[in-house]
Formats: sequence, C-alpha cells, structure tokens
Amino acid sequence: MILRLGALVTLALAFAGPAAAACAQPRTSLSYLEGEVMCPTCHTTLDQSDSAAARRIEAFIQTRIDQCATAAQIKSELVANFGAGILAAPPRKGFDLLAWWLPIGGVLAGALLLGVGVWRWSRARTPVEGQPPVDDDTERRLDELLARLD
Amino acid sequence: MRTLKLTGQIVALAAVAGLLGLLVWRLTHQSKPPRIGGPAPAFSLKRVDTSGTLDLASLRGKPVVLNFWASWCVPCKGEAQMLEQASHQYRKQGVVFLGVDFHDVTGDARKFLEHHGVTYPTVQDGSGAVADRYGVSAVPETYFIDRQGRLVGEHIMGTVVDAKDAFRRGVEAALGS
Repeated sequence: MILRLGALVTLALAFAGPAAAACAQPRTSLSYLEGEVMCPTCHTTLDQSDSAAARRIEAFIQTRIDQCATAAQIKSELVANFGAGILAAPPRKGFDLLAWWLPIGGVLAGALLLGVGVWRWSRARTPVEGQPPVDDDTERRLDELLARLD
Repeated sequence: MRTLKLTGQIVALAAVAGLLGLLVWRLTHQSKPPRIGGPAPAFSLKRVDTSGTLDLASLRGKPVVLNFWASWCVPCKGEAQMLEQASHQYRKQGVVFLGVDFHDVTGDARKFLEHHGVTYPTVQDGSGAVADRYGVSAVPETYFIDRQGRLVGEHIMGTVVDAKDAFRRGVEAALGS
C-alpha cells in the first residue's frame, strides 16, 4: 500500500513538476503584456485586437511566459523581431526619450504661461495707490443720478 | 514686462514654426508606391530559412519573383505550393523566387516554410518597413523584378493561384521575353 502511494506521488510529481516549475522571478502575465505590445497590422494594442497577427504574437508571449522569460526579455525579443514600433510606449532612452519629456515640458510651459497671465491680470486690476477710483466731480454726478433714480 | 511679452511671442512663433516643419517633413517623407518600370526599392533583410542576410542588390542580373507573405495569413497557405512548384519550373531560366515574411514571429515563419516545403530563400520584414516601401497593403502580394532591378508586369494583390495568367505574364516580363 505504502509502495503504491509512493509510486503515485512520484508519478504526480514527475508530471506536475515541469508545468509548475517555479521561476527565479515572479512570472509576468499575458494580460499585462497585451497592453504593452502593439499589433503590427492593426496599430492597436494586442488587447484591443483580434487579428491573426495579434493572436500569433499573443501565443508567442504565452510560450515565453511559460518558459519563465521576464517581461523585459519578451519585449526585447519582440523588438528584435518586429522593430521598436511593436512597443506601445517608446523606450526611455536616446531620441525616444523626447516622447516622454516633451509632454511634461508642454504641461510645465502651459502652467508657467497661465501663471504669468494670472499675475499680469491681477496687477492690472489693482488700483494705483494715492488716487481715488473716481474724481470728486464724477462722484458728485453719480450721487445726483442715484438720487434722481430714488 | 516688454521683454517678457517679446520672449513669449518668440517662443510661440518658434513652436508654430516647429509644428509646421514637422508637417512638411511628414508630407515629404510619405512613402509612395513604386511605379512599374521604376527601380525596385532596395533592401537588405535577415534570412528566415538560414542564417545571415540577403541584399536585393545581390540578385541584380537575375529576374526575381518577390512574394510578401506571413504565417498567420490564410491565403498564403493556399499559394505556397504553387510558388514552390513555379520556383522549380523557372529555375532553369535563372528566375529567383524570394519570399518576404511580413510582420511575423520568426518561429512561426520557420514552421510555415517547413510545413509547406518552401525551399527558395526567404527574408524577414518584421517591422514591415520594406513592405511599406513597396506599397503592400495586405499579404499575399507578389512583385516581379527584371534583370536590371526594375519592377515589371503588374503586381498581384492576393494569391497567385487566383491570378495564374497575371503570374505567368509577370514572370515573362521579368525574364524580358
């Protein structure tokens, strides 16, 4: 009985071993990479595409995930195969770095312009010190007009 | 204050000029499909069937049948056998068949070649840059190049199985007969 049980456990381990083999690092997921990788024929991310090319790339990604490849490794292999355009986001190096910094620069420049505009507008509305907002004559005429209205 | 205003105006003008420059660059760098009788767009691509690269220029002096395909393309499977047979048929006349694997996973492309018994050279255009320069809109598409490296005949959009006459005329045009 014990021998049989031992044999069963050994068999179960032999079959389950490769499938459940632990990776040195946490496995990445297909759902994560689907949002990071473009479909080359339809120019959307894989998760938004149902094209044949997208399905083949998904199958490739899944195979590599099963082989414990990291997200960075898989992306690198896809870039080697399809070129940098396969990635949804441009790499954070070289000329492509501009794609990351330009929007930030644009937002900062916009905020600066808005700040300068508000500052100028508020200064223009400040009354000049030492001068009344209206002269005596105008004030008298305004009082007369208001009295007539009453 | 005046300096600030002037600086702002200069920055705004520079931004508009930059955007205009980008628009002009984009318009002038749009790929136009090559015309028949004109030179076939040059390329040097990685081989799929073996190691190394293949330069189209190295085939100058030989008629070339250039077939764009992909392993995920269902119609491509239907024409693979005819192309392989034609490559043997026209080999004696010096015609070179060259496959260009388009937007494909290398492993899948190799399996496709093995499964369909394709023996002529095949290169990989993973990014699709070469296909763009040829004006390929969908695979399969087949082009014919004469010994002088000029595009001849009419290129076939769709399978060669569905365009046997156009295929024969294309090969004859490439042969110069």
